[in-house]
Amino acid sequence: MPIQILQGTLDLMILRTLATMGPQHAYGIAGRLQQVSDDALNLNQGTIYPALVRLEQHGWTRGSWGRTENNRDAKYYTITRAGLKALDEETERWRQMADVVEKLLAEEQ
Amino acid sequence: MAHWRRIVAKLHNLLANKHAEEDLAREVASHLTLLADDFERRGMSPEKARLAARRAYGGVEQAKQAHRDERSLLWIEQAIQDLRYGLRTLSKSPGFTITAVLTLALGIGACTAIFSLVNAVLIRSLPYGDPERLVYLFSPNPALKIPAEVIYPSYGDFYDLKREARSYADMSNFEQAQFRVTQQGTTQSIGGARVDENFFSTLQSVPELGRTFAGEDNLLAHAKVAVISHSLWASMFSAKPDVLNRSIQLDGANYEIVGVMPPQFEYPFKSDLPYGDSHIESTLIWVPLALDSKAKSSRALGNNVSLARLHSDVSIHQAQAEMAGIMARVDKEYPPDPGDVGIPREWGALVESFTGISIGPVRPLMRLLLAAVGLVLLIACGNVANLMLARAAERARELGVRAALGAGRGRMVRLLLTESMLVGVGGCAVGIVLALLFLRLLPKLDPGNIPRLNEASLDARVFLVAIGGSLLTSLAAGLMPAIGASRMELTDFLKSHAMRGSSAGHHRLQSSLIVAQTAMVVVLLAGAGLLIRSYINVESVDTGFTRSAVTFHVSLDQRYSKPEQRVTFYKELMAKLEALPGVQAAGSVNYLPLTSGESLTFIWVDGFDNKDYQQTKGRFVTPHYFQAMHIPLIAGRYFSDADAAATTNQPVIINQKFAKVFFPNRNPIGGRITGDSKKENWSTVVGVVADVRHTSLEEEPQPLVYNATYDAGDASVAVRSTLPPAAVADEIRVTLKSIDPNLAATDIHTMGDLISIATARRRFQTSLLTVFAGIALIMALVGLSGLMRFSVNQRTHEVGIRMALGAKRRDVLLLILRNASVLVVCGLGLGLMCTWIATRLLKSFLFGVGQHDPFTVVTVSVLLVVCGLMAAFVPARRAASIDPMQALRTE
Repeated sequence: MPIQILQGTLDLMILRTLATMGPQHAYGIAGRLQQVSDDALNLNQGTIYPALVRLEQHGWTRGSWGRTENNRDAKYYTITRAGLKALDEETERWRQMADVVEKLLAEEQ
Repeated sequence: MAHWRRIVAKLHNLLANKHAEEDLAREVASHLTLLADDFERRGMSPEKARLAARRAYGGVEQAKQAHRDERSLLWIEQAIQDLRYGLRTLSKSPGFTITAVLTLALGIGACTAIFSLVNAVLIRSLPYGDPERLVYLFSPNPALKIPAEVIYPSYGDFYDLKREARSYADMSNFEQAQFRVTQQGTTQSIGGARVDENFFSTLQSVPELGRTFAGEDNLLAHAKVAVISHSLWASMFSAKPDVLNRSIQLDGANYEIVGVMPPQFEYPFKSDLPYGDSHIESTLIWVPLALDSKAKSSRALGNNVSLARLHSDVSIHQAQAEMAGIMARVDKEYPPDPGDVGIPREWGALVESFTGISIGPVRPLMRLLLAAVGLVLLIACGNVANLMLARAAERARELGVRAALGAGRGRMVRLLLTESMLVGVGGCAVGIVLALLFLRLLPKLDPGNIPRLNEASLDARVFLVAIGGSLLTSLAAGLMPAIGASRMELTDFLKSHAMRGSSAGHHRLQSSLIVAQTAMVVVLLAGAGLLIRSYINVESVDTGFTRSAVTFHVSLDQRYSKPEQRVTFYKELMAKLEALPGVQAAGSVNYLPLTSGESLTFIWVDGFDNKDYQQTKGRFVTPHYFQAMHIPLIAGRYFSDADAAATTNQPVIINQKFAKVFFPNRNPIGGRITGDSKKENWSTVVGVVADVRHTSLEEEPQPLVYNATYDAGDASVAVRSTLPPAAVADEIRVTLKSIDPNLAATDIHTMGDLISIATARRRFQTSLLTVFAGIALIMALVGLSGLMRFSVNQRTHEVGIRMALGAKRRDVLLLILRNASVLVVCGLGLGLMCTWIATRLLKSFLFGVGQHDPFTVVTVSVLLVVCGLMAAFVPARRAASIDPMQALRTE
């Protein structure tokens, strides 16, 4: 079943992707997200654009134009130092949150 | 809400840079290409791959729009959030908001209005070329004990100066003159000037229509041309351009109109000349001076004014030195003019700047107003800062919670600043409205002798200064609490009493602000107090005449060239006036009290140790003048009709001051005096009358001799009647018309009006300063009351404990009042110290009161302490009514 992206988590996922895989273009990021989620993520590839803008505006990523291996024109996003810091914080938050939710759900059962 | 935010975002996109748009299009295209490449690799035909890529991508336009929105939404979103939040919190505490906005508005309003006034009076340019280089040339004579700025060089001396002096780019001579203008049967008197051919070029002014005078206009044959002012053009010729073909009738002669000057050119204005014709407010018409060669070389004192424009590289001192050299030479070269009886040929040199003469006298007043209004603005700023600090302290808990919930520090500072900016903008808007209102009211206070006061309007620069000032103020006031809030340590906050600890610093700052404000209020109050005392003193000066006398001015034209004609005219006028119902007496004088005309004569007193160049003021009056003006008789008798006809051994009446100076310890009645240096023709003193304030209400009376005559020429007539002044004025007009329909009664005033005009400047400055002091006092009290309320809130817990331990309500009340009085007394002390220094600057504004007047100091102190305690009483009573149980539970 395709799952909806939880509000605010897309940013985290993109940051994580960039941190692990190095500079990526939007297509690459979208592909990676789909791949990791085993295509469970119902993601129109265009929907990651707002998140990309937001991250760039926060100064967490930096975009620059380059060439793919197939010599195609593409905009590559690189994670910045601030982005790495934000990634740590967001990850921590997510863990706590997931923890709380997990505990709650465990108690319910 | 979301809908219009999108619209804003779209608007922003329209303005957004093209670069971002192109970048986006390129990125989307590249994304689609990469997708299509992938699909092709999986074996799709290029065409199918392209379609599949599109599908996988989703709506391209939607994605682009989302991208755009996201791009611009971030800052709009945050700004709107801040704004909305700011507005909401402000509207939740209307007391704070209204007080802060009003305080700021009052400060800004007063400041803007006064700046506009100063701008109009001192800064805005005059309709002349660089006025800083315009100078007047005077030739004071050490033998004459009169102000140096009364006498200009004689024509002969002036033309010598003009020929020899190298300091000036241009020099002009002119005379003020009143003209009777007849239009459609009615005659009115207007102010004018007879000017030489260099008049307009010296001022560097050009007409808006036609021309000014060319060289040949100043030859006698061509002298019947005139240049008129814009206002006369509008009032008499309905501003029609055909005015240049028309003529104007001045004193019965036709003058061809050759030019119209631009608006605002009405030189000389009353305030442009140091001792100008007091009947001329402003100059509406100019005609050629047209001197014949005899007049041009006359070395006798004239009525001319000498105006010159300095070369740009010459200082006033250099010009003065040069003039002194030339005057010393001509003084040696020419004998005293036979017309200037008894005056030695010792004409000196004095060059003074035009701006110094015209706006110099009001400069101190303008500075005073600026200083006062500056203090008001400072107090307003202090108040707003205090309010914000108190608010920040009260909100420490809220801000702490926000920080704990993860609000970024920058974001919190932005929020607080937005709030203070909102207060600033509000204050600014209301302030501008107040300033406009204030500017409307100012002309109603117009003392009439501040140049261009009526032209004061809100100009753009002043407006910007005000906006800048207010935003800066609120920003500064908002910054302190904002920094405090952002520096707050969460752990501290979470400890229960951290809130108090963090506000201790604030509290000290707030208290010092209150002390400083109080001190400034004391300075303003003391200044206002001294001015009020001075004003009361001036108002209660014994003028020596009745306020109810109705006076008017008559000037006789050339039809009355023979003395007998003038005598007949004035005898008939007085007889007819006195025959009117209700009229008790009528009499004329050459210069009325409190108008600027003056006549001086040398005097020798029989049996007195006479000194050289001994002077007295002199007045020519018709016999019933004293009764008409109600000037009390001290000794001897008033004039009779026979006195006016006496040709030898004329009877004279002297004032008390004259008696005191020249007849010390002896009876002046029967004493002999003469103005004749050969001492052949003596006059006998027949009466002594009370002193009259002539020059101004504030100047001590000078010795004065009255001569009786009906040969009055141009004179002011006083009429005392039991009827109301308006009725008397009507009767005067009718009476004058019945004698000579071509004469006009001008300057119809009661003596009370003249006193009111004479005190107008004082009323102006006193009322303004009092209003400012009042505003300042109210602001400071609001501040004090606010601080006390705040401190009561902060100390609820403490008060609860005190009461639980047995403190009475009275003790609590006194505790708060004591706190308030410490602040007030500190402020008072500091304020009195500042006042001690500051009132020295006020010295020239005071009359009959010392600059350290103890009465004022005591009154101000009492007023301040009483008001301070009253302001603190409300919060104190609230503290006293705290229920200890509840107070201890609330924490």
